[in-house]
Amino acid sequence: MKRNTVVLGITLLLLAAFAWAGWANWEYRKQAAEKRLAAVEKAELVADNNGGAGDVPHFVSPLTNHPAPDFTLGDLNGKKVSLASYRGKAVLINFWATWCGPCKIETPWLVELRNQYASKGFEILGLSADDLDLDDKAKLAEEKHEIQKFGQQMHMDYPILINAGSLDKAYDGLDALPTSYYVDRSGKVVAATLGLTSKDDIENNIRKALGE
Amino acid sequence: MRLALELRRLDVLRPGICRLRFVLLLSAIALLPAARAQSPLADSPSRSVAHGAPLEYLFPEQVTIPAGKPSPVAFHFRIAPGFHINSHKPKEESLIPTALAIPASSGVQLASATYPAGEDYTLPLDPTTRLSVYTGDFSIQARLVAARGNHLVQASLHYQACDKSACYPPRTITVPIDVIGN
Repeated sequence: MKRNTVVLGITLLLLAAFAWAGWANWEYRKQAAEKRLAAVEKAELVADNNGGAGDVPHFVSPLTNHPAPDFTLGDLNGKKVSLASYRGKAVLINFWATWCGPCKIETPWLVELRNQYASKGFEILGLSADDLDLDDKAKLAEEKHEIQKFGQQMHMDYPILINAGSLDKAYDGLDALPTSYYVDRSGKVVAATLGLTSKDDIENNIRKALGE
Repeated sequence: MRLALELRRLDVLRPGICRLRFVLLLSAIALLPAARAQSPLADSPSRSVAHGAPLEYLFPEQVTIPAGKPSPVAFHFRIAPGFHINSHKPKEESLIPTALAIPASSGVQLASATYPAGEDYTLPLDPTTRLSVYTGDFSIQARLVAARGNHLVQASLHYQACDKSACYPPRTITVPIDVIGN
């Protein structure tokens, strides 16, 4: 009887030790996961219950409410264009590519909205994320030609800058296209979208960037 | 004498020790999966579709075909739910077609490849534009010509995936296959 009590006591102690070890392990993993997530500070897609683009997820970018990372990229003629030179204007930084179907759908909306809001101090920078063979002049010329052809077909009469893939770290990975950042007159990102959203959403974000 | 006594004491204790071991074993078995399953990251949903692989090669891993003679081999692939990739013949020139390739130096030649016809697809925000895409499982009917012997071929599939609102950069995946020509 006494022996049984001792055995039972030890068993209970060991069970308690196991339970504590399990809890400590879970807590450790939880903290490690939180640290990892905080370090990565990646953007995430959140279900949008506000209608608009229907079931297209709402993009939460860590750049929102922060200064837009400055950049200088070349246009199709080799002219350097920097974001900083647009300070004082509301700017839509639109990442796109010739192979991106949804980009092709939204571009006519962008062209139209630019015409509508340009007089209020709004500009679009179309940043092509098409891969470029920078070491092969012949291929590079061909790739630039394709981008130019696409721009002409879509009537993109705003600056088209190339080699936007080089901004992937600064602009949160650029995992998918189209990706847009709306920058206000002070250079702060006020909205960001990933994927195709409705024309109304785009217009609302432009107005937000304009401070309306 | 002392040793004999100790052994006798152990004999008396043995059933208890066995029970204890049994209880401990059960406890360990019960707690181990619980501790593993409770990893917060393991339970969290995928944070971004872009980090998952939208396409995987299924099979075959190995084929045996007559040496020097064009022989049919079907390559099977699977596209993750929610994604589509352009077919081999997208409706627009600027879209990237899905294409299978075999390195020239592999000892195996891709004599021909017949791709499935794409299915019509429209994006929710633009029902007027029809795309030609693959979704779900699809296979490419190839004809391979292999030299005699065993060839570990690193074939590749170039594709570009999208979901209903966004597109992901073009990718090339390795399609490993062991081709035996005899």
